[in-house]
This record gives sequence, C-alpha cells and structure tokens, in this order.
Amino acid sequence: MKALLKFFSSLKLTVVLLVFAMMLIFFGTLDQVQYGIWHTQKLYFESYIAIWAYPEQAPGYEALQWLHIPMPGGYLLGGMLLINLVAAHVTRFKMTWKKSGIFLVHFGLILLLISELLTDLLAQESQMPVDEGGRANYSQSYRENELVLIDRSNPDYDQVHSIPTSLLKPGKVVDVPESDLKIRTVRYYPNANIGRAQPGSPHDSPATQGAAVKMNIVAHPAEVTYDENSINTATAFVEVIAPEGSLGIWLVSNIIDDRFPPQMVHSGDQSWEIALRFQRHYYPFEVELVDFKHDKYPGTEIPFNFSSEVMVHHEDHTKNQKALIYMNHPLRYEGLTFYQASFANQDRTSIFQVVRNPGWILPYLSVLLMGLGMVIQFGIHFVGFLNKRSS
Amino acid sequence: MKKLPYIAFIVFAVLLIISGLRPERYDTDFDVEAFAELPVQVGGRIKPIDSVARNTLLIFAGRQKVITPEGTTLSPIEWFMDLTMKPEVADTYRVFKIEFPDDLGLPGLAQQGQRYYSFNDLLPHFDEIIRLHSEINPEPKKRSAYEQQIADLNDNLTLYHRVMHSLHPIGDAERLNRLVDEYMSFQQMVPAGMEALRKQQAGEDYDAELLSAFINYGDDYLKLSQTAYLRVVPPPPPVEPLDNWKNIGLELLDVIKGEPLSPYVSGYGALTMAYRNDQVDMFNQTVDELRLRFEADFPGEIGRVHFERLFNAAQPFYLSMLLYVLVFLAVCVSWLRWPHELSKAAFHILILAFLIHTFGLLARMYISGRYFVFVTNLYSSAVFVGWGAVFLGAIMERIFKNGIGAAMAAMVGFCTLIVAHHLSMSGDTLEMMRAVLDSNFWLATHVTVITLGYSAMFFAGTLGLIFVIFGVFSRNFRKNDARTLGSMIYGVTCFATLFSLVGTILGGIWADQSWGRFWGWDPKENGALMIVVMGAIFLHARWGGICRERGLACLAICGNIITAWSWFGTNLLGVGLHSYGFTDSGFFWMVGFVLSQLVFIGLAQLPWSFWRSDFGQDKSSKERKRILIASE
Repeated sequence: MKALLKFFSSLKLTVVLLVFAMMLIFFGTLDQVQYGIWHTQKLYFESYIAIWAYPEQAPGYEALQWLHIPMPGGYLLGGMLLINLVAAHVTRFKMTWKKSGIFLVHFGLILLLISELLTDLLAQESQMPVDEGGRANYSQSYRENELVLIDRSNPDYDQVHSIPTSLLKPGKVVDVPESDLKIRTVRYYPNANIGRAQPGSPHDSPATQGAAVKMNIVAHPAEVTYDENSINTATAFVEVIAPEGSLGIWLVSNIIDDRFPPQMVHSGDQSWEIALRFQRHYYPFEVELVDFKHDKYPGTEIPFNFSSEVMVHHEDHTKNQKALIYMNHPLRYEGLTFYQASFANQDRTSIFQVVRNPGWILPYLSVLLMGLGMVIQFGIHFVGFLNKRSS
Repeated sequence: MKKLPYIAFIVFAVLLIISGLRPERYDTDFDVEAFAELPVQVGGRIKPIDSVARNTLLIFAGRQKVITPEGTTLSPIEWFMDLTMKPEVADTYRVFKIEFPDDLGLPGLAQQGQRYYSFNDLLPHFDEIIRLHSEINPEPKKRSAYEQQIADLNDNLTLYHRVMHSLHPIGDAERLNRLVDEYMSFQQMVPAGMEALRKQQAGEDYDAELLSAFINYGDDYLKLSQTAYLRVVPPPPPVEPLDNWKNIGLELLDVIKGEPLSPYVSGYGALTMAYRNDQVDMFNQTVDELRLRFEADFPGEIGRVHFERLFNAAQPFYLSMLLYVLVFLAVCVSWLRWPHELSKAAFHILILAFLIHTFGLLARMYISGRYFVFVTNLYSSAVFVGWGAVFLGAIMERIFKNGIGAAMAAMVGFCTLIVAHHLSMSGDTLEMMRAVLDSNFWLATHVTVITLGYSAMFFAGTLGLIFVIFGVFSRNFRKNDARTLGSMIYGVTCFATLFSLVGTILGGIWADQSWGRFWGWDPKENGALMIVVMGAIFLHARWGGICRERGLACLAICGNIITAWSWFGTNLLGVGLHSYGFTDSGFFWMVGFVLSQLVFIGLAQLPWSFWRSDFGQDKSSKERKRILIASE
C-alpha cells in the first residue's frame, strides 16, 4: 500500500505523465489534418487509449504504413495526473507559506481538469439561424439527429415526439414517447447517398410508404465524413407500428427536410408528420432578428464587424430583452449563451451559436488561482535569489 | 587608454545610428519626399504612396532598391514614379526576382548569373507564361516549388500591370503627355455624348463620330476601373477615414453620371505631364496642391501619413539588427580581451538597440492606431518575440554581468528580426484585422503575454545551447559558470512557463467570449499548451532532481523545438481558426531548425570524458571514481 502510494505520488510519475501529455497533444494536432478537429478530439482527448497511425497522405507511406504509436488518451492521462497530484499533496506536501503558490497552482489545475470533464459531459452546442425580421424558438445541432413524429392537430401548438438516432438500431423496436406508436428500425445509415433509383440497377428499398415509394428514392450507405465543412446525411428506413399493426416502412433522412412535402403517418383519425432531422432544442422564448450588419474595410474583403440586433420575446414578458450580439460580445440569457457565429443568404440571415455550459465559470476561477499561484511562487523564488546575490 | 575599446565600439554604434537616421537624398530636383507622402487607400487604411512603393517592390524584388541599366540605384519611390509616369523607362528596370530562371521552362530567358529580370525581358515570353500558369495546380497549398515560381511570376506581372495603371490611364507617350487635356475634353463631351446615345437608342439622328469617341472613352475607363490597383481618389469632403475611396477609372466613369471630376484626378494627370517634361517647378507646385487638399480633407490623418513615411525611411528594425550584430561582436571579443570595458560597451549598445527596437514597436502602434497591441500577425509576432528576448537578456546582463545575457539577447533579437524581414516579403505588415480577432483588449493581453512566453522560451533554449557549446568545447567553462548558467536557464524558464500559462488561459477566456468554447483543441491552442507542458516538465524534473544541469539544458533546447512548432509549425497544418499565416518554404525551415536543435541535444549526450571544459572534466573524474568505488 505504501509502495503504491509512493508510486502514485512521485514526481517521476508527474514528469512521465507530462511527457505523454505532450505526445498526445502533438499527435492529436497532427491527426486533425485527416480527421478534423471534432473527431480528433473524440479520438485523442476524450478517450482512454489513442493510436496514431502513419498518415496515408504523408511521404513514404508505402515504407512506413506499419508505423502505429499507441499512447494513453486524454481521460486516462487526466485521471492519472489528478491522482498523482492529489496523492502528492496527501503524502509529500506540507502547507507552508513558501509552498502556498504551488498549492494554488495545483488547486487551479484540478479545477481546470474537472471543468474540462464537465464541459465534455454537459456542454451542448447548437446553431440558431434567424432571418432578418423573422423569429426562431429553437436551435439545431449540426451533428446529432433525431427521428420525430409531429402531431399538428392542435391549432395552438404542435406536439413533437422525438427519438434520438442513437436509439435507432436495426431490428430494435422503441416506443414513441407519449403515444401508442412504436418504431422498428429496418436500416440505419449514419451517412448515405440518396437519389432516384436508376432504371436497370437493382432496386433495393424496403420502403412501402411515403416519398421513397412516390418518388422512387433509394439510399446507399456512405462513409462517415469528419470534414468540418460537410455534413453527414443520416438516413433510416423505419417501420411505424400502431396498436392495430404495422402501418408501413418509411424512408427518412435529414436531407429530406422542409424543402420537400411532409411525409405523413395516419392511424385511425390521427396523423403525424414523420421526419429525421438535425436535433432541435426548443426554448420558452423566441429570438427575433431586428437587424444584421456585416461591414468590411473599404476596398477589401476583410470584415471588421458582424453584429445582430435581437429582441428576445419570452413567454414570461418580464424576461423580454433587447441585445446587440457581436464578435466577442455574446448574449448570456437563461443559462444559454448566444454568439455571433456566421451568416447566410446575402447577409439577411444571421446564425448564432447557442451554447449551454453549466460549468463555464470554472475555468475563470482556475485561471485566477493558477496565475496568482505562479506569481506568488516565482515571486518568492526571485526575491530569495536577489537577496542571496546582494548578500 | 584602457577606455579606448569601449569608446571605439560606442562611437561605431553611434555612427551606425546616425547614418541610419539620416534622411534619404534623392538625386533630383523633383520633390520626391512630398510625392512619397501623397495618400492612398489600400487594404482598408490610408497610407503614403511610399509604403505602397516599398511593399510592391519587396514583393517583386525582395529588396528595397532598383538598379537601372545605367547602374544608378533608385529608391522604391523613385522606381514607383518611373513605373507610373514613365512606364516605358520602368519597363527596362530589372525588378522581377526569379530564383531559378533556368528551371522556369522559358527558353531564351535565363542569363548567366542573373536573378533579376525586367518587364521587357519577360515580354517575349508572355504567351508561354500564361500557358504554363494554366497548367499548374490550382490549389496553392499543393503546388511544387516550380509551380509556385510560375504562379508568383504570373501574379507579379499582373500586379505590376495594375500598379502601373494606378494614377492615370496608360498609353503611348503622346497620350501621357496630354492627360489633362484628355480629361478636359472628356468632361466637355459627356453631355453631348449622352444626348447622342439617347438619340441613337430612340432611333433619331445622332452625331456618330462624337458617339463613337465618347464610347471609346467609356470602354477605356471601364477597363481602367478594373485594372487600377490603388484607390487614390477620396470622396468629396466632409470625409470619414473609413469611407470608400475610388480608383481613377471609377472616378472617371462617374463623370458620365454627372458627377464633377475630382481635383485629385487632374492633379495626378498634371503631375505626370510635368514629370515627363522635366518641369520641376510645375511638378513641385502640383504635389504641394495635392498635399494641401488632403490636409484640408483629412486633418486627422495627415500626421499619421507623414509619420509613416519617416518610419519607412528610418527602418528602425534594420538599424537595431545591425546594432545587435555589433553587441554580439563586442561580447565575443570581451571573452578574449578587455572583458570589463567591452562587456560594458556591449551592454550600452544593447540598450541603444533595444530603445530603437522599442521605438519601432511604438511607431507601428501609432500608425495602426492600436495602442498596447504589439502583435497582429506573424510578422509583428516575430518583431515582438525578439523585443521580449532582448528585454530579458538586458535584465540578465544587468544581474550577472558576464556577457551571456547580452550575447543571447543580441542573437535572439537578430534572428527574430531576420525572420520578420522574410515574413514582410508578402506585402503590407500593418494589414487590418478580421472581425473575430479585432478586439484591442484581447490582442493587448492574450497575444502579448503569449508572445512574451515564446520569447522567454527561446531565450532559455538559447542559453541551453550556450551551455552545451561552452561545456563541450570551452576549457574556461568551470563548475561555477555551469551553476550560474543553470540558474539563468531556470529563472527564464519560470518566467516562460508563467507567461505561456497565463497567455494560454487568457486565450481560453477570449475563445469563451467569442465562440463559447473555452478550449477547442485547435492546433494553435494545442501548441501553446505544449509550451506550458514543456515548462512544467522542466520545472518538475528540476524540483524532483530527475535532471541535473546537462539534462535541464537539453530540456531547454527541447523548448526551442516546441516553441518553433507552436509558433510556425501549427500554421503549416492549415487547420483551425488560428491558421492565419501559411508559409510554404516555412516547412523546410521548420525541419531544418528542429534537426539543428537535435544535433545540439545529441552533442550534449557525449560522455563526460569528451567534454573539454573544466566542468565536464570534473564530472568525468567523479564518474570514474564512482565506477571504481562500485567495482571494489
């Protein structure tokens, strides 16, 4: 036990872990060329083991393709560093004024590691496009999808039944929340090519209802892309099962969106729109875009200002708010933060990044602690050094 | 008598400064200086023509002078005057630098030992250049060195053509010699021309000759509006600095809409006529009128524009580069003779150079109108990294007084300014910032702090190099020196870690403010984090007694590699939000630098018995004793 504690609290372990951290960050940067930032993050920093393979595009791939370098992933390293740090403080460190700086730095570091973990687990990012003069009450994810059945029978509101696509496993049956329907997944493709069936080619579509039948559409699985600028066409064939029996199989895909006529599911006197779409988050307020500005320096394409004037209309009118959202000046509202992210539609549509991150304040605290700790520690060293020299 | 070496070095330094700051002499009676100060709007800001001339020439020739076929040396502004006003003469100047003319695939072009070519040299090869250019890879990042050379040549020829058309339409000598008349007759023709056009379209009788002359002008000015590179015509007063200026072609076209012709247009026309006909008085008077008009329209900008020209002429960074060389020389000599006098001289010259370097930084701030913002792009980061290192070195020198601080300061200052010089070849170094980066507060805090972190890291790394070099080769390097150098490395690394950490975290806060992600694992962020981790490794290895002096010196040299990667390497990847400055040849420099550092780390791994220094020999004998004791 003592030996174990000694191992976990040793400075040698710290140095070894830091060297691994350096490796991880380096290779985790290199692989971004291939996999983009988001996927690399999953592979390297939100994992236990990461393996770097010699990239295909690099010179000498023929000779070096056997080269694979395994290394501990971000979760493992972060966890080990945390244990190392705590163990060292329990066993070796005595709280003295001379060490107070180190304590602050380490405590800040622990806080930072925890806040990163919290962000990984809890933070939610989505985008909200709003047209000038228009309003939006939801934001949508640009990676996660959902299967929805929408009941539009009530004139005052729509009822949305949503199933995340992570539950769509071929052959599995899931209940549609708050309804009598069930969904059986026939096929699910994270990315697919969708098009009209070509005459002569094998027509392989299990669909019996909806657009796929009417327009003779087929879907072929495609490789998942990690490119920052392209999206995956998530596609599924789903069977809708009512208490009285199967209603048929529909083809749904996030590329078959509002531009197409809705696909309807009828059971008895009830009917629903069925669709697979980017996951939406609905809010109890509407964001109205009053005006969007995009200014450039004269004679250049360099923008010096993007700004969106918005009015937030809340169900509770006392919470209504006017705001100007521009670069480096987000709107923090109801636990969400709205950032000016992009624009479209010849500057008539503004796109906000909407972030919910309950732990956003933690890094600020840890920064203060670490900065302060370092200043104290090095200050003590420096003053000591100067005294020694002058004496 | 003992003071003589000190005095000699100081006098030399002062002479350098005086010759550097002496105003440029032009071998002509034309008021070149006043012309150089005329304002243009390029890249979103108002600057003197002088800056355009320098930047353009740097892009073409990679240097700030032109040698005419007669052997006279021209300054950038004199070249620019010839280019725009006497194009037939400028076409004979060799301004296009072609590094490997033999490999270009243009038979008959290359001349033995000649890397500079004139427009007229290239003229017979235009069809071939256009053909070659159409065959190269359209994706700039995937081009070979050869393809890049073709692309550069093509781009440069286009730019040359566009800059030439900046001040007025270009034509044969007859046209250039009567520009003002041309504008006059064009203005007079507009009402009648418009009337003829209306009649023609309505199917009535019209003056066909007049209409065709009018349409000719229109076509010509339309082309000019697409070609002319500089925006030299401010809108009529009252004017704001960010209002759009027009180029000559657009302004002439707008006369057709019934707008009066701006006096700037006829002013430049008159200038050209005077310059071509050697009418010095006329030229100087017209320049003066243009300057006074600008002064009246932009009272807030004239001072800045004037200052920018003086700044260009003084070249403070070049001057401090020369002084850094002198400092280094002084220190090296001081290690052999006159240690006291020369290290004092080195320190004083270092302070002088540092002041000039600082002046350059402040001057750039004034010109760009951003105070406390030291770094806006790769170029300015290089200048600032150097400044930070010199600052640190000066403090070190003050404390230790052993010449090492001064020598290192001079070396890092010199090298970073060389890097900056090469980065400046791509054009204006005071360009505008994109909106997401445009935040004075964060530019002043995050970017400044993190760049100081780079400085300190490089400084510590250079001290590590000195440790290895002295330790292995110099007999005079004793145990005490090793200890002093070790504590210098340690102190600087503490500083570097502090600044990198604070800077990185400030960056995180900025990211949280601007796109809602404290940390995004973007390459540049990762690079900064690697520096922090490197600092942490160094500090923990020292505190844990895992590495001694030699190991720590090697770790400091590793810091050089990591910092270079973070600073330049990550930009080479071309991913992420920070990749603002891609440089092709950067890759080879990067690899070369890393290899050189590895060589030194390898050198440090030599067994102690190969170390010629006292320090190494001491270690070696201790080691032998230990082995003997162990074997007994």
